[in-house]
Amino acid sequence: MKLKMDFISSMKLNGKPQKKKINYILNRVKSGSILILDGVMKPEEEMELIRETMRRVDDGFPGIEVCSLKKEVKGLKFLFEKISEGKERFWNWAGRGPTKTDLKTGMTLIGPAKVIKKIKKNPDSFSVMAEV
Amino acid sequence: MVFGRFFNWIINFFRTRQDVRLGIYGCTNVGKTTIANKIAKDWTGEEIGKVSNVPHETRAIQKKEKVVIESNGKKVSINILDMPGLATKVDYRKFLKYGVTRKKAKDRAREATQGIVEAIKWLNNVDTVLAVMDATKDPLTQVNVTLLGNLEARKIPVILVANKMDLKKAKPDEIREAFPQYPIVDISALKGTNMDQLYEAIIKHARKAK
Repeated sequence: MKLKMDFISSMKLNGKPQKKKINYILNRVKSGSILILDGVMKPEEEMELIRETMRRVDDGFPGIEVCSLKKEVKGLKFLFEKISEGKERFWNWAGRGPTKTDLKTGMTLIGPAKVIKKIKKNPDSFSVMAEV
Repeated sequence: MVFGRFFNWIINFFRTRQDVRLGIYGCTNVGKTTIANKIAKDWTGEEIGKVSNVPHETRAIQKKEKVVIESNGKKVSINILDMPGLATKVDYRKFLKYGVTRKKAKDRAREATQGIVEAIKWLNNVDTVLAVMDATKDPLTQVNVTLLGNLEARKIPVILVANKMDLKKAKPDEIREAFPQYPIVDISALKGTNMDQLYEAIIKHARKAK
């Protein structure tokens, strides 16, 4: 059996509404791909990803394995991320959500639970055990 | 729309609720229902739900309302919300190992996924959370990280509960190292160890929503 890994640039997902982003990820993972994103979703988006995954679980698709490493950002980048988060919170509060958000700095691996058997996470690394 | 939200915020600001909605969250088989049962039994004499070794035993939210807990002369009235275990995967084949029939295993998996969806939805409706972790297992799971990140983003007070301290393999310090920014209580809900500390922490950190 073949194992397919897709390395996705954050440019591909940045600025997309949450629903589109999650659809893109789950469609690819459900078709058997392991995705590696050069960014991290917000915790709320990750929770939504879990919720949407549960809605799509069936006999052939038991779910996903996901692991992310968020990089601590400093200086101007930190400031820009905080301003962007504040803007998103305001528009959510004002009822204009779901907003278009960018991935945060870091790395995420998402794959089908049928293939990825275990992820061992450390604060600054993770190892993946897969079975094909 | 903006004015509607603002109006709701004003209404909620002046509305007071007597009871704290205490959500018990965590991965599967970490002992959430055992904790909920222990709290309910200690203060009302009645348990909430059934406990089992088979994962996803709790597949719907179980509630116990108006449970008044007391510690150091202070009282707080809580509504206990025992949530289905969070997970990123639910494979019906795993239930077959416990002697469940294929049909029942599939039903259980379907109910479990619905329960997880419901538990996530309820994150908008809890005032304080007990994030339960199995002290014998690696705490750095994506489910734990995502749960705590969500609670932080929603500004919901959280108490980490290192459960299963009665087991030899328990290493609560790993939880402390992984999540140093949260208050942690080490307990064994099964044996009833350190429950007083848990009640003290709930009274200290529980926030009544307005």
